[in-house]
Amino acid sequence: MQKAFFNKKLVVILITLIISFLLIAFSISVRNNRNTPSFIQKFGNEAAAMVNRVVSLPIAGISNVGSSVTDLYNTYRENELLKGKIDSLAATKVENQTLKAENKQLKEELRLNKTLTDYTRITAYVLARTPSAWQNQIIINKGTNAGVTKNSAVLSDRGLIGRVTEVDTTSSKVELVTTQNDAANRFAVQLTNSKGETTNGLITGTSGQYLVMGQITNSTKIKKGTKVVTSGMGGTTPQGLYVGKVMRVSTGGDSSNTKVYIKPAADMNKLNIVTVAKRTD
Amino acid sequence: MKYLFPLGLFIALFLDGSLSLHLAQFLFAPNVFMESRLLLLWLIMAVCYSDARNIFLWSVIVGFFFDSYYTGVLGLFTVMLPLMVYLTREIMNYFTVSFIVVLLVYLIDVTVLTGLFYWANILIGFTTVSIADFIGQVLGPTLAYNLAWYVVLFFPLKRFFEKFA
Repeated sequence: MQKAFFNKKLVVILITLIISFLLIAFSISVRNNRNTPSFIQKFGNEAAAMVNRVVSLPIAGISNVGSSVTDLYNTYRENELLKGKIDSLAATKVENQTLKAENKQLKEELRLNKTLTDYTRITAYVLARTPSAWQNQIIINKGTNAGVTKNSAVLSDRGLIGRVTEVDTTSSKVELVTTQNDAANRFAVQLTNSKGETTNGLITGTSGQYLVMGQITNSTKIKKGTKVVTSGMGGTTPQGLYVGKVMRVSTGGDSSNTKVYIKPAADMNKLNIVTVAKRTD
Repeated sequence: MKYLFPLGLFIALFLDGSLSLHLAQFLFAPNVFMESRLLLLWLIMAVCYSDARNIFLWSVIVGFFFDSYYTGVLGLFTVMLPLMVYLTREIMNYFTVSFIVVLLVYLIDVTVLTGLFYWANILIGFTTVSIADFIGQVLGPTLAYNLAWYVVLFFPLKRFFEKFA
């Protein structure tokens, strides 16, 4: 054997590669199997979250000023649109209250304590977003101290945005629903057409900016514009969280190949305040 | 410089995340993914213009924080950032520093870093994007975005490093 074969650089490179692969394997097994990351990761994440709060304040301030200026340009037109919506909103609110009271009364009569739709809300704001093209993740400022648990669903003010993948003491990581990661924990959703027939399925991936709902169980006709909500069947997400609206249905062959393209209701690129929905039943 | 270099390094780390959040409608527009690499910019400028010691060690530490805080998968940036520092040092042995030279070295580093990150994510199975899509949708826009930040920040950073050398 030549002496040059074992020169120092090659050994260093090999050792580095082995260490790197070991660390990656360790992280993935922790991520899949344990509820909270290892101690050193937790410590690092807390320290980083604290400093991030300080550093992100000026950037958030600048961003707010920027969005205020652009809002000023659109104010008149937006005002007209909003006035029209407010009138129908009052009627919807009254109807909502009546339905809630009736629902509560019926639940008491059936002696149901908790059902699929019950959840507690934890409000958090977004600290940062992962600067990576392959991980669609945001970091929020609430952790186990506030009661956040792994795999809880997370909503913005408009609809579902993702799922909690990692929880530290004072911060958590939320994987967005538009993630392209094949190993992600997917949402079980359902939609109800105008005749009242419910179709259940899973969000199996993304196509462009639309979510793709697959694994559909029956072959009812689905129209464009139908609202899609979570079905609660996965066990970790409450029922009734708004996901989006149907844009297009593509049937290929039998009903198990039907794919529904959904436009998400929440805007993934404008996330500031989010709510963690912790299922309580 | 002993304290300013790590301080700037961590500020660059969190700026990457904050900018990715607030400019998300431009960075993560449909079919385009720009990755913010201000962290690498600070490292390259420090290697070329300052005599800060222990850059290698600090790059390992910052890489660990990047992995732990942003992605949750250790071992990616923890080894890739020191590799970038080593690569830059080797390249700069043959050239003298100037705006254009450091620009080209920075672009090479961003390409290598983004390419290695893509390859590692393919290995783990976090993504299945093809190479053609990667180059068109990720590598190109990332280079353009980071090039813009380089042009804006080069002279202030150069003055900063030379003043506090």
